[in-house]
Amino acid sequence: MSHLDAANASPGRNEESNNPPRPRDENAIASANQALGESPVEGQAPGPMPVVESATLSKWYGQVIGLNDVSVKVPAGITGLLGPNGAGKSTFMKLMTGQLKPSKGTIRVFGQPIWNNPAIYFRVGFCPEQDAFYDRMTGLEWVTALVRLNGYDEAQAGAAARRALAAVDLMDAANRKIGSYSKGMRQRVKLAQSIVHDPDLLILDEPLSGMDPIGRRRTIRMIKDWARAGKSIVVSSHILHEIEAMTSNILLINNGRILAEGNVHQIRDLIDTHPHTVHVRAAYPRELARRFLAHDDVISMRFEEGAVVVQTAAPDGFYARLTELAATGEAGEIAEVTSPDDNLQAVFQYLVK
Amino acid sequence: MPAQTAPATALPNRPPSLLSAAMRVFDLSIGQMLWSRRTIFLALVVAAPILLSIVLRILSSAGFGGGMRVGGAPVAAGGSIFGVFIWLLYLRFIVPVLGVFYGTSLVADEVEDRTITYLFTRPITRGAVVLGKYMAYLAATVLVVLPSVMAVYFLVVPIGAGTLAASFPALLMDLALIGIGLAAYGALFAWVGAQFKHPLVTGLVFAFGWEQGILLVPGYLKRLTIAYYIQGLAPHALPQDNALNILLSVLKDSPSALTCLFWLAVIWVGFLFLAARTVERREYVLEQ
Repeated sequence: MSHLDAANASPGRNEESNNPPRPRDENAIASANQALGESPVEGQAPGPMPVVESATLSKWYGQVIGLNDVSVKVPAGITGLLGPNGAGKSTFMKLMTGQLKPSKGTIRVFGQPIWNNPAIYFRVGFCPEQDAFYDRMTGLEWVTALVRLNGYDEAQAGAAARRALAAVDLMDAANRKIGSYSKGMRQRVKLAQSIVHDPDLLILDEPLSGMDPIGRRRTIRMIKDWARAGKSIVVSSHILHEIEAMTSNILLINNGRILAEGNVHQIRDLIDTHPHTVHVRAAYPRELARRFLAHDDVISMRFEEGAVVVQTAAPDGFYARLTELAATGEAGEIAEVTSPDDNLQAVFQYLVK
Repeated sequence: MPAQTAPATALPNRPPSLLSAAMRVFDLSIGQMLWSRRTIFLALVVAAPILLSIVLRILSSAGFGGGMRVGGAPVAAGGSIFGVFIWLLYLRFIVPVLGVFYGTSLVADEVEDRTITYLFTRPITRGAVVLGKYMAYLAATVLVVLPSVMAVYFLVVPIGAGTLAASFPALLMDLALIGIGLAAYGALFAWVGAQFKHPLVTGLVFAFGWEQGILLVPGYLKRLTIAYYIQGLAPHALPQDNALNILLSVLKDSPSALTCLFWLAVIWVGFLFLAARTVERREYVLEQ
């Protein structure tokens, strides 16, 4: 059993998670079925109660459709919500966390409606995408203050906040003001506030965005540990390799619709046929570039201010080498790794062609 | 990195009560509110009466300020001047300004800063969020206004024959009145902030258009203002001569103190309830 499979083998996990992706959109995605070599699967297999269940869920903002007629059951374990920017991931997550009210249809979390149902937040933790904080507070003060809203007394809240900050490796900076944190630390303190009350369901909106390679690896490990402890996680990303590192169970979303759900590996095969672009911000981009050049999978490189942008034909190997370089520090500090959604967009265009 | 594990002690699994949740939101918000750019700006606004008091004190020491009379007393009576400061500067200007600027932003600031998500994904009602932030507003504005009022009191009251001891009961009433004004305006503008798309403009139009204008019109419409009821509680005699006299004599039509307190309580509770209810039902779509 690979480490990915192990992560998915948490209690209550839907057996279907290792099945190939099941296309959802009858028309446009018929061609996706073809591309994936699959036939549409009718209905949902019976199984344990889904942690999140939506039925004909739609959300529109005025004339703009954010989510369109989504019926889906999210099983226990880790589920990746994969789609390019603007696909509807954040809208789906906001509906899932009760921040938005469905325009049509229903969404239930642990069998209960979430809109205007604050009691459910005992069981749900949410890490939003936005980089927004009370910058004048320290990490410890902020996480403590937030968990006090769960009814914790001062001592319980302080202890829980310390545990959560330790879980995201942020205890060293716990007493520093959030305003002084790096992007990666800010991501981690956001994660800490989402896990501080030990929720059963963790909803993470682009949690790896802006993290350095080491931070990414730690966070992925934490998410997988969390799943092994019997918790459920819904995690969104526009980067397939991030999702793949956490789970093989995905919901593929684009233009407000769930295109497919199921196993990530077939999608991954498709994406591997497309060059993958990685933007690496580092102290010595040219030194990094020199090391990248030694490998055949690097198709092209260009420099931007303080960064090198690489196109690779073997993203897995590339990310592994990058993480090693960051860990050893041989090529200087690697501050941030991002991947534009062009990678995924190309696959989507291919799927719906 | 270890996964978060459940602690040994039993942890809460029921939402805190409304008041308890509101107090926790208060704790989270008060620091943010006190150290916001808005507070620095409004601290400058409340510094204006202090500067004016210093000027008056200097003029008084230099022997100026003879002809004007306030409340039938010579202008040199510091207690009367202090009363005018309270009525015209604080109750008619500074208190509504604080109410508009803070009240309309109770939730709007969190939405603009995109931090509202953290409050709305906790097991507390949105009403508790509004109440907690309102309590933070009251504490912050009192902390902003109080030093200003006290400074003006110590600067102005000793002018001429005024004594601090004699004016002290009036000072306490003035402080209570400012508190009542901040509470009533804050509740109203909290609702305006939750309900309207451009709450600041709406609030300013109400405070400095509707309220100022309608008080000059004889009839019942003035009962649709907060200033009308606050005026009924003002302990100070108002100026008796000059153009100000004519203007303020129109305002002198005041209901009894009990009626004023009753309607101010209705405004306070009613608008706070409406603000909480509006926020409970409203969706907040954050800019990405």
